[in-house]
Amino acid sequence: MYNKPTWVSVMAEIRTSATPGAPLLSVKNLQSWYGESHILHGVNLEVRQGEVVTLLGRNGAGKTTTLKSIMGVVRKRQGSITKGGTETIGLPSERIAKLGIALCPEERAIFSSLTVRENLMLPPKLRDGGMSVDEIFSLFPNLKERIGTSQGTKLSGGEQQMLAIGRILRTGADLLLLDEPTEGLAPVIIQQIGHTIRKLKERGLTILLVEQNFRFASTVADRFYVMDHGVIVDGFKAADLEANMPKLHEYLGV
Amino acid sequence: MTEIFGVPTQALFGQLLLGLINGSFYALLSLGLAVIFGMLNIINFTHGAQYMMGAFGAYLVGQYFGIGYWPSLIVAPLLVGLTGVIIERTMLKRLYHLDHLYGLLFTFGVALIIQGYFRYYYGSSGLPYPIPPSLAGGTRLTLFDQPIMFLPWYRAWVIFFSLAICITTWYLIERTSLGAKLRAATENPTIVRTFGVNVPLLITLTYGAGVGLAGLAGVLAAPIYQVSPLMGADLINVVFAVVVIGGMGSILGSVVTGFVLGLIEGLTKVFYPEASTTVVFVIMAIVLLVRPAGLFGKAATTTTGVESTSVGSGLDGGRVLNVVMAAMAVVLMAAPFVVYPQFLMKALCIAMFALSVNLLLGYAGLLSFGHAMFLGSAGYVSAHAAKVWGLTPELAILAGTATAAAMGVVVGAIAIRRQGIYFAMTTLAFAQMVYFLALQVPFTHGEDGIQAVPRGKMFGFIDLNNQLSMYYVVLAIFMFALLMVHRIIHSPFGEVLKSIRENEARAISLGYKTDRYKLMAFVLSTTICGLGGATKAIVFQLASLTDVTSGTSGEAVLMTLVGGLGTLLGPIVGAFVITGMETYLAEWGQWVTVIQGVVFVVCVMAFRRGLVGEIAYRTGKPL
Ligand SMILES: Nc1ncnc2c1ncn2[C@@H]1O[C@H](COP(=O)(O)OP(=O)(O)OP(=O)(O)O)[C@@H](O)[C@H]1O
Ligand SMILES: [Mg+2]
Repeated sequence: MYNKPTWVSVMAEIRTSATPGAPLLSVKNLQSWYGESHILHGVNLEVRQGEVVTLLGRNGAGKTTTLKSIMGVVRKRQGSITKGGTETIGLPSERIAKLGIALCPEERAIFSSLTVRENLMLPPKLRDGGMSVDEIFSLFPNLKERIGTSQGTKLSGGEQQMLAIGRILRTGADLLLLDEPTEGLAPVIIQQIGHTIRKLKERGLTILLVEQNFRFASTVADRFYVMDHGVIVDGFKAADLEANMPKLHEYLGV
Repeated sequence: MTEIFGVPTQALFGQLLLGLINGSFYALLSLGLAVIFGMLNIINFTHGAQYMMGAFGAYLVGQYFGIGYWPSLIVAPLLVGLTGVIIERTMLKRLYHLDHLYGLLFTFGVALIIQGYFRYYYGSSGLPYPIPPSLAGGTRLTLFDQPIMFLPWYRAWVIFFSLAICITTWYLIERTSLGAKLRAATENPTIVRTFGVNVPLLITLTYGAGVGLAGLAGVLAAPIYQVSPLMGADLINVVFAVVVIGGMGSILGSVVTGFVLGLIEGLTKVFYPEASTTVVFVIMAIVLLVRPAGLFGKAATTTTGVESTSVGSGLDGGRVLNVVMAAMAVVLMAAPFVVYPQFLMKALCIAMFALSVNLLLGYAGLLSFGHAMFLGSAGYVSAHAAKVWGLTPELAILAGTATAAAMGVVVGAIAIRRQGIYFAMTTLAFAQMVYFLALQVPFTHGEDGIQAVPRGKMFGFIDLNNQLSMYYVVLAIFMFALLMVHRIIHSPFGEVLKSIRENEARAISLGYKTDRYKLMAFVLSTTICGLGGATKAIVFQLASLTDVTSGTSGEAVLMTLVGGLGTLLGPIVGAFVITGMETYLAEWGQWVTVIQGVVFVVCVMAFRRGLVGEIAYRTGKPL
């Protein structure tokens, strides 16, 4: 029998279907402050549904601040940040989380007063699509072995990073903000994380990734943005990476 | 056989039971404090008042709605918890971005308001609350057919129920997912919020729950102790010592320490009754010496950074201050012809007290919440020296001052090992110890104090019985103290103190032995405080217990706050304002306490610069 599509079902269809090209996250003229110091001076960027976008830039360029502003951790901000069409400027982090954004911070923030299991179970399921513990284990098999550890911070750096990424998958966020997930890790672990990011992309998740290591980034990213002194100074597709190499060396000072 | 306390074993077990009952209340109350401290980093000074409100809640719902004990056990804590939620949401919440000491001062002010209000309506006598009929009576416990003791059912219930609540709370926090959220939020609230957890709500509910626990303890206590406005104030002082011993913020620590100290107190009552009220404080002193963080505490340090008004400097600013000080001296010289000298002398003595508190808080960032111990002890010694030893007034004052200085060395050496709230709690607990000692040792004459102290002749020829002579002597002593503080804060030593207040780690890295500086500041402060207390005893010919109470310590902080933290003249203005209020509003009785509480709250919430601080800020001149 033919079901006449209702307005609601059409909208739901539009939202859930991974239409490449529909912007999931759109940041316009974002300005941010830490107290009195003005850090972001008008950041513009877009992340489309299902994309992995990497934000490059030298130390202190404002990459972390951009992610924190999107997540609402940096409260003093102006301009516009929309997720799936909803304006989030002015919302507190817990409300932004409910819109389906999750942040894996640079410092990983594993809790020492919580066991590994408690760390993993800490984020509540906020939306449909929140992963079960078994699904997280299938992405990070190492975690399964270490789940009985009495203190989260007793894990190795790589394990802590996997725990930090793994636990935010529980919320059901469809936009992940990952801040330098490979920082200070051994090459094998970096490969593993790259593998996981590609799997997450296959599952339809959208990722905004901050990286210093653009060799690694080029293995996962669809597009790049380059940031300097609190603004986006350049952007190009992954395919054009080689052509942009000289410019990139200049931006990153490497 | 019907005799309970006749046989030694029965006495022993009877006291142990009493100890366990007290221990139950210590545990419940310090548990609530630990829960609140863990999440808010605030020592809830309103806790005693909220415990009292729990007891009154049970009493009042019984009186007006005929609600009995069992429903009250739920209703009263909920009501008390609700008041906590309201206080947190409307006011406390706005203080989190400031130094935690402001939270402490705020809750202290709220406690004054609540306690003053209840005392106004219900006096200070106790109201009876019946034991619920279902728990009336008791049982005779025997061992090998030997009677051990009589166990009233209600007391057994209190012990059992407190233990159950403690274990439940511990389980909730250490073993459940809600508890994991709370612990995580304690460590890093920002990140927990990004997981979609409403941390501000969690904080509000935690405060409500901690306060509700205090209310619950109050309901449990109602049938045992009488329901009275002061029941909390008396108990909470011991509980603060329990918290210091157990280690602040430790759930397990507070429960275990609470019960164990109750038992130890009970045992002391059997074997050495004179020491039973001080034993907790003696244990505290020992624990602080051996383990400054408390038995179960982690050695954490908090940074201090009270907002003190340090504006402008240099010659021009200094000149303004000198002119103001000279003008003040002239006004004070003429004042006794306009205002009662008795009032002026009181205000000047109290002003020295406030100056000493501000020297620590405003310039070294150390909040002493027990400075009354130095004021009162100096008063006792100076009164005793003048009356019993027959010393001349100048020697009596010197003896009192020296006592305060010596006490400062001991207390300071122990207290400066901790910072921020821990420092405040340590000084408070020491002050409680001194208070109980003053209540018990013979030479202080307990509640009566040392009365009819002769004023005598200063240097053998200034007859202090002449009111004006006395006044000018006090004024001279006061000016000496003021100039001393002035010299201290404008010396290189004072500059080091300020840099320690702003950033201790940095001062250490610059090579300063900050502990030595802090100890030096502490002793200087207690010396000035002692000078005020010793002089006051001679002026009023009286050394009394009031001067060693924690309320008096709080008043000095209030004066400093009203006048302006970290200003030279602020404490003096504050002392005159508060002393004036007490003197001229005396017929308002308990309302004065309420007003003081309101002033405290208003100053902390909205007027942190204080009167003089505000003027200094507007004019850009240091005052
Ligand atoms: N909490 C803070 N308070 C004040 N300034 C800050 C704070 N955090 C960062 N900054 C400043 O903001 C600027 C941007 O910092 P941000 O952390 O966003 O850089 P980044 O691009 O992430 O650098 P990195 O690659 O080193 O992580 C820097 O100049 C930094 O000093
Ligand atoms: Mg960064």
